[in-house]
Amino acid sequence: METSSANPFDVDIKEKILLLKNRLPEWKLLEELLVDSEAMLELTQIVKLQDEWLKHRASSLYIDPLLIQLKVKLLQKEALTEAFVKSWHPVAQVDQISPKGLEKAFVYWRDLSSIAERFKEEFGNYGIKPGVVDYQELITLGVFTKNQFEQGLNELQAELMEKSEGDWIDYMEFIKSPDTETRVLRAYLLAFLVSEGRASLKTEPLTSKVYIAALGAKAIGLPKSVAISLAGGD
Amino acid sequence: MESQDKALLERKVRKAFQVLVLQRGRNPGVKGWEMKRYLGRDYKKIIEVLSEDVSGLGLEVFEVKGADGTDDSSRFLLRFREPPSVSEAETSGIRIDDLAVLAATIAFINSKQGRAARREVEIFLREKFPKWRVEYSLDRYVKRGYLEQDDRTMLHTGWRTHAEVDEKTLMTLILSRAQAAPKK
Repeated sequence: METSSANPFDVDIKEKILLLKNRLPEWKLLEELLVDSEAMLELTQIVKLQDEWLKHRASSLYIDPLLIQLKVKLLQKEALTEAFVKSWHPVAQVDQISPKGLEKAFVYWRDLSSIAERFKEEFGNYGIKPGVVDYQELITLGVFTKNQFEQGLNELQAELMEKSEGDWIDYMEFIKSPDTETRVLRAYLLAFLVSEGRASLKTEPLTSKVYIAALGAKAIGLPKSVAISLAGGD
Repeated sequence: MESQDKALLERKVRKAFQVLVLQRGRNPGVKGWEMKRYLGRDYKKIIEVLSEDVSGLGLEVFEVKGADGTDDSSRFLLRFREPPSVSEAETSGIRIDDLAVLAATIAFINSKQGRAARREVEIFLREKFPKWRVEYSLDRYVKRGYLEQDDRTMLHTGWRTHAEVDEKTLMTLILSRAQAAPKK
């Protein structure tokens, strides 16, 4: 009844209440009494619907439902729109910021720290834009010395020669490492080997897989820049 | 003394206009208890004066009674005194089809004693409008306050319909419209 627009007077409230009254002495269990009170609650809801129904019917808005539905079905959209517009009084209001709101916005903006600062606590340096760190800068920062860097390059080339045995091997497999820092460092050193012509890279167009091979002699020809994402391995 | 009273009244009327014209919350209009706070106990008299003052601009202050019928729960709005023309309504960016859906829905709900299951309304409207427009428009009008949907998916006319639409006129106009001649 509550989920349809059926006539609430179709339910005989008096009869249902008498039924509940007659059955009440039979209920012994708490569960039975709860169901009984639930039924009573539902009946009160129907009485409420009857009240609303009567009020609406008594109002001047009541028109035979079938008549109005038939009219709406027969009328063209334009006629319906016209009827609506002729009975419509749109609300007039200004949707704009007040001086007080403007002041609040200004104070908020003034006190707002930069994105980099706001995200620093949550994501470390996530807010800082990606940039280029060159070899000289890494030495200046003390990440490693020039000798350590050269040694690292030589060791990595030797490892690559041993693993590849003159053949192409999977790039991701080669730089693979248990921790991300080492993996990034290996990729960084490998990029130097490639740019110095001590190793070569190729990509498989269909699978987008990257292969690497060690070169005994320095490669000749035009160098080509290749960007490889390391994020996939995380 | 008289000029002081007049100046005070003018100030209060100006304040009432500013309070009504600037949207504060999500919905337009100001509740009676808020008006009392801004204008004092005699706020209804000030609203009456304001309503007269803005009539020259084609506006009026309209009261939508709240659920308990008290002045405090009423919502006061500034609205058009006379309905706009169809072409004016069109220039405001509202589609004719959307308004037709709303007109048919309000008429249908009123014919069902003020409440109808959403499914029933959708079936009724689909005889006239495409399915996608029916669902989209109903959702939109619920969001904008023209319709209300309860947790049992029953649709009622919303506070905005009570504020903006003269429902009696709408029903009378729909009934009095002659049906269009069938297209050849």
